Amino acid sequence: MARIRISARKALHEWKLYLFVVPSLLMIATFSYFPALSAVYHSFFDWGGGEYKQFLGLGNYRRLFSDPVLWGAFGTIGILIIANIFKMIPSIAIAVLVHRLKSDRWQYWYRVLLVIPMIVPGLVTLFIWKFFFDPTSGLLNAFLDATHLKSVLIELDREVLHWNVFAEGIPIPWLGDPKLIVPSLILWGFPWIGAVGVLIYLAGLQSIGTEVYEAAEIDGASSLDKFWYVELPLILTQVRINLVLLVIGTLQGFGLQFLLLGNSGGAGQAGMVPGLWMFNKAFIAGEFGYACAIGMLLFVFILVLTYFNNKYVRVDK
Amino acid sequence: MNPAPSPAPAGGREGSDWLKHAIIIAILCIELLPFYMMLQISVKDNTSFLANPWLPLPPGEWNLGNLVSGIRLIGPYIANTVFVAVSATGASLALALLGAYFFARYQMPFGRLLWAVFLVLMLMPGVANIVPLFALLKGMGLLNSLNALILLGVAGGQVFQVFLLRNFIEDIPKDLFEAAEIDGASHFQQLRSIVIPMSGPIIGTLAILGFLGAWNDFMMPLIILRDRELFTLGVGLIYLDGEYVKKWGEIMAAYLIASIPLILIFLFTMKLFIRGLSAGAIKG
Repeated sequence: MARIRISARKALHEWKLYLFVVPSLLMIATFSYFPALSAVYHSFFDWGGGEYKQFLGLGNYRRLFSDPVLWGAFGTIGILIIANIFKMIPSIAIAVLVHRLKSDRWQYWYRVLLVIPMIVPGLVTLFIWKFFFDPTSGLLNAFLDATHLKSVLIELDREVLHWNVFAEGIPIPWLGDPKLIVPSLILWGFPWIGAVGVLIYLAGLQSIGTEVYEAAEIDGASSLDKFWYVELPLILTQVRINLVLLVIGTLQGFGLQFLLLGNSGGAGQAGMVPGLWMFNKAFIAGEFGYACAIGMLLFVFILVLTYFNNKYVRVDK
Repeated sequence: MNPAPSPAPAGGREGSDWLKHAIIIAILCIELLPFYMMLQISVKDNTSFLANPWLPLPPGEWNLGNLVSGIRLIGPYIANTVFVAVSATGASLALALLGAYFFARYQMPFGRLLWAVFLVLMLMPGVANIVPLFALLKGMGLLNSLNALILLGVAGGQVFQVFLLRNFIEDIPKDLFEAAEIDGASHFQQLRSIVIPMSGPIIGTLAILGFLGAWNDFMMPLIILRDRELFTLGVGLIYLDGEYVKKWGEIMAAYLIASIPLILIFLFTMKLFIRGLSAGAIKG
């Protein structure tokens, strides 16, 4: 629909139209723009969140660069980002598998089953996993004991890892041992199926016509060939978008670490991530100014990623 | 590619699919394990849970008292969450409709600039906002109140909702609006009798997304709310998790009850729900 152009002169008469955007604008000005500007401003101050503040110049930023916890946190988030990228594979694999099924009815039912985890609040799924990790009543340890996989882990620890975290007769403290915290954060959510991702991939795959497969088969393409040359190219855009969103989401997220490990990032702060450190500095230590500076650092990282995303990855329509 | 996707099954034409079914079912079993555990533990007391954590109890031995204590534990939190989620989603969509109507129908002076004000927020990361937001709400005297959560919900939804609704309203045939104008319909009448009926699906999708967002939110409520009576589900569950003596049966029953509203929404609006999830992913 072509929009109705209203000239500047006529706009004086039709000024009431502006009232339609004013409420939305006021909301985002107050709760999005103001906090963002406030964060930039207060990152230069020693600020406790109230009236009192003292100008520090670049003090907070200098402190960022010599904050060992923060750089440790960036190291941890780096590991988690790399792990999360690999955790995209199961969703792609299951989408391709479901798509290749001959029966439409089964495709439909698998799709419904895949969405079921989404109707449990995310927080609840997370707490159920926390319960799985529980050393004494948790099911992960019960499973490892029952299947004797624990002796494999003990062997692995003794011969390869040298972590001294697995021992006969002692329940494994999944979220309690600094060495096991990052592995547990990675293991969380196994088998890492993202329902939304699968649905989107399936939608992309649906546009492949039967004749493409027939042609591929005449050429003697194997299953793997079909994946690389027919299926993957069709969902590649979506895979790339998901990849960038995932990296950005992991970089700024700290809900997972907060809920599983608490605001200090668990034993030895092994699960500390930058977002959680910002939260911790503001709401536990009361150093709002420094927390704003951490926030600005994350902001710049994500802005750069978003820039590259829009320049090189995102394909509009 | 092929513009009209063939409804016929596409993948491997030859041979049987049993191996694919086996792999998919195996993955689904693990994926659904938390859901299964929640269901079957929610009717066990601690003794039967410890004796037999894996298998469901026969229906005769179900301890339905867990569900009663579950409702007592988180019922009030659910009521608060429903209040916040419904008010925030409703108000947010109302404001977004007005804004989208402005952008979709008229090209006013400064319209482009105002649009940019919205678009910039699509790309701007909000990660640094949480700390100043707390100070802002403190200054406004809105700490420890559900209204703060509603306001944040409304503000947080604006950009995405205005963006999607604008695209949708622009696709409504212009003749409809012209006919209404000839009949002397005001802007509000046009919104009510043309825009809202024509954009039912997108409004439904956005409403589900907004509701899901409010339901899963825990960070802002945790920072803002202090009194137990005001807790929303997220904060309530965090406090429940922090208690020392764990009665897993009751906790799982509480988790189950926390999921019921979403399960109901899912059952009644499966199509919109799935579309909403996919739309949310494109949000960026």
